[in-house]
Amino acid sequence: MRTERVSGVALALLAVVVLEECWRSRLPLGTLATPGPAYVPVVLALALLAAGVLVAALGRDAATLAAAGWREWRHVVAIVLTCAFVALALERLGYRITMTLACAFLVGVIERKGVVSTLLLSVGLAAGTYFLFDTLLRVQLPRGPLGL
Amino acid sequence: MRARRPLVLALALAVLLPGVAPAQEAYPSRPITIVAPFPPGGVADLTARPVAASMEKVLKNPVAVVNKTGAAGAVGMQFVATSKPDGYTLLLALSSISIIPEADRIFDRQPAYTVDQFAPIALISADPTILVVRAESPWKTAREFIEDAKKRPGQISYSSSGIYGTLHMAMELLSHAAGIKLRHVPHAGAGPALTAILGGHVDALASGPAVVLPQIKAGKLRALAGWGDTRVAALPEVPTFKELGHPEAEFYIWAGLFAPRGTPEPVLARLREATRAAVGEPEFKAAMDKLETPIAFKQGDEFQRFFDADAKRLAAGVRKVGRVEEKK
Amino acid sequence: MLETLGNLGLGFSVALSPSILLYAFLGCLVGTLVGVLPGVGPLAGISLLLPATFGLDATRAIVMLAGIYYGAMYGGSTTSILMRIPGEAASVMTCIDGYAMARQGRGGAALAIAAVGSYVAGTVSVVGLMLLAPPLATFALRFGPPEYVALLLLGLFVLAYMSSGSMLKSLAMAAFGLLLGMVGIDQMSGYFRFAYGVVELGDGLGVVPVAVGLFGVAEILSTAGQGTPPQVVKPRLRELLPSRTEWRESAAPIGRGTVLGFLIGILPGSAHIISSFVSYAVEKRLSRHPERFGHGAVAGVAGPESANNSATSGAMVPMLALGVPSGPIPAVMLAAMMVHGVSPGPLLIQQQPALFWGFVASMYVGNVVLLILNLPLVGLFVNILRVPYPYLYPAILVFSMLGVYAVNGSVVDVWIMLIMGVLGWVLRKLDFETAPVVLGLVLAPMIELSLRQSLAMSDGHYGIFVQRPIAAALLGVALLLVILNLLAFVRRRLDWRARLALAEKGEETS
Repeated sequence: MRTERVSGVALALLAVVVLEECWRSRLPLGTLATPGPAYVPVVLALALLAAGVLVAALGRDAATLAAAGWREWRHVVAIVLTCAFVALALERLGYRITMTLACAFLVGVIERKGVVSTLLLSVGLAAGTYFLFDTLLRVQLPRGPLGL
Repeated sequence: MRARRPLVLALALAVLLPGVAPAQEAYPSRPITIVAPFPPGGVADLTARPVAASMEKVLKNPVAVVNKTGAAGAVGMQFVATSKPDGYTLLLALSSISIIPEADRIFDRQPAYTVDQFAPIALISADPTILVVRAESPWKTAREFIEDAKKRPGQISYSSSGIYGTLHMAMELLSHAAGIKLRHVPHAGAGPALTAILGGHVDALASGPAVVLPQIKAGKLRALAGWGDTRVAALPEVPTFKELGHPEAEFYIWAGLFAPRGTPEPVLARLREATRAAVGEPEFKAAMDKLETPIAFKQGDEFQRFFDADAKRLAAGVRKVGRVEEKK
Repeated sequence: MLETLGNLGLGFSVALSPSILLYAFLGCLVGTLVGVLPGVGPLAGISLLLPATFGLDATRAIVMLAGIYYGAMYGGSTTSILMRIPGEAASVMTCIDGYAMARQGRGGAALAIAAVGSYVAGTVSVVGLMLLAPPLATFALRFGPPEYVALLLLGLFVLAYMSSGSMLKSLAMAAFGLLLGMVGIDQMSGYFRFAYGVVELGDGLGVVPVAVGLFGVAEILSTAGQGTPPQVVKPRLRELLPSRTEWRESAAPIGRGTVLGFLIGILPGSAHIISSFVSYAVEKRLSRHPERFGHGAVAGVAGPESANNSATSGAMVPMLALGVPSGPIPAVMLAAMMVHGVSPGPLLIQQQPALFWGFVASMYVGNVVLLILNLPLVGLFVNILRVPYPYLYPAILVFSMLGVYAVNGSVVDVWIMLIMGVLGWVLRKLDFETAPVVLGLVLAPMIELSLRQSLAMSDGHYGIFVQRPIAAALLGVALLLVILNLLAFVRRRLDWRARLALAEKGEETS
């Protein structure tokens, strides 16, 4: 499983998905003189398809997928999940609670730093940035159920 | 995700029993938000801010303007349509509020919101659009323009702020009323549309008067006619299309205040009374003067009638335009 | 000339009055802050602070707003260089070489060069604004859709020069970025493309969430999980400033970036974002060591940073000379003027000399203020890197998510940032460049719209592109570039064959 093969195929697949979406939503193609909404996307998708196929075809000497080094995937998953949590909770739990929880999780649980520094950083960051944006830049950040 | 929001809100409300205010709580007791669904610096924004400032004075309660931009206003309008009808989230909408759901419908899309999800409070301003051409163009009157358009169908070009936008619909109404066919070159907003005509890339533009007034005064553009019921105060020598025999060419870029439907009647009444007082404040009048936007205050039934008539006209216009791509 | 000097004198007398100075300083301060915050760019900063200016008079208001605008360009380089997070869309190119320089311990030098380059560009371009505003603005107006198509096609060539690795893979990334730009409402026909019912995607994927995700978040994802924490290079004070060679290497790029950025900035539209991309490509093309680009070339920082600063002055040209909003930021500034009863239009310079010249003078002053602000702060900012990474990256994430959210109050932007972050991480693993994606994202909607507008203007005839002089000239240049490159390519192949033939002959005779 060479990296180039995988990435080439992935790009080609993406191009096919785009073409399929144009077909499915019946975006008019138009003509060369009057291009429709599907014209340029189709051209680009075909270009991407060609590029993907070429990358895959010429990728015989690329490194293997494993050799690219995915050791940190657990960390990545943790960070991604935390950010997803923030996206979901931001407008429901309010800015400060969400950020405190997210930061505390990252620093305390993932990085395994002490309780004091975790709390200091999380609460400080959430409250500090809220203050900065609310007072200085007059941006209303979402407030949760407890007014936080 | 949006469908779940009312459910979550309901749960949160249920949880906060001590915090829940009784229905007879005095309104307003919290800061009110007026959502302006357009980017800062645009007509909606510039109208919303004096309104907010004036209402804050009248209600003695903070009123803030929040910009929620996106999709030609659809994002902000959808946001207010689905927010809690407690009178703390209001919408300052332009006439495009009636256009967007109709455009969604002709594309067989789920409309982002529907017009009946709003309860109208008051009309603040109603600027008729005016037809401008470059000073070097051969047309000195609207009649010359229309006649030339009849002789050369599809040859005279005009710019707009985007398809199905306010500037486009104004021209479409004129085209149907006068029986002419023009060439439409959509642009990405009112600014680029103005730049296009100033640079000579298109021949005509339907624009709100405030923006083009300095250009007319400086001799770069010429105003031919207006889409209003009466002539524009700042341009008394410019006739209206009504006077020229095309009464169906009536279009205003109006700004009005709305609340989500379901807002309790006493709250609405309070808001109406507040807007009436706010519009009468001298500072508000001065602010609108600076923007060269005349105040055209309408309320209650009068606004409802204006709104309904306008919505019907625009919806019919959008349907006539149809799906542009399929006509080719 | 004498008249101009007299006017400038008037302007300085206005600008140096304490209250105006205060507001210029305030604007610069907020601008730097806004620029440093990832995700919150100058447009967001100006929009957020517009209401705060309503209580002021017109001159103070636009002096402050302009301060925010070019201040953000100064500040944007800070996070780009130190943490590979673009402070705003125009700082994306600085991320590449600036961060590489920081990794080599030359972060302070990069920051200093960026600050000085920004100062020179900001000051020189104000001179251009001052002396040439009306004729430049009239010229700029002649850029209509066909000219944009030609210009942006030239911009696409920039992609060819951005890759330090495989050309094919960069082109694939460019195609991908161009496709990303197709998401949203089609301005010509009203169709919603690839939005899958999400209304917030109506205006497309924002450049800011994509750039912050693809560069900043991806960098965090790659580095956070490494077994050994990243080497915190602790530079000494002497090493904070650029060496003499580095200064010499940055002089010409700063000059070129200034001119380039200014010219691109005067064009109406959001073209000024691409000024830094074009500058990077030009520097790489003209450099004697192009292989250094991507690994810490000084010119790769000096050029783009100067370009994006002079583009801000360029953007003011049509606004002040003609009263035409040439982009979203000038539009907000025009609104600020209108709110204060100053009606912007072609006669602004004549009718409101105090405003115009005071504004111009304030830009000189502002640039000096920013240089004084930023240079000492270099030491402070570099010390941020000393914070242990496990504490630093959650803070960066918080700021990034906050910044991206705050611009539009939309959670969808946060999701876009996150998804692009994961994508950026994967792409780095698979050895793909991410800068072409951002450029494609920026260019695609503009090229497509301009192309279709041109065809609408000409009723479907492609001849419009050669009938209009500017468009034809630009296309001619593009064609020339293509031919030159093809020739160079062919010559290299022939060269190779000739050398091989010579070597074989050499083997035969020996």
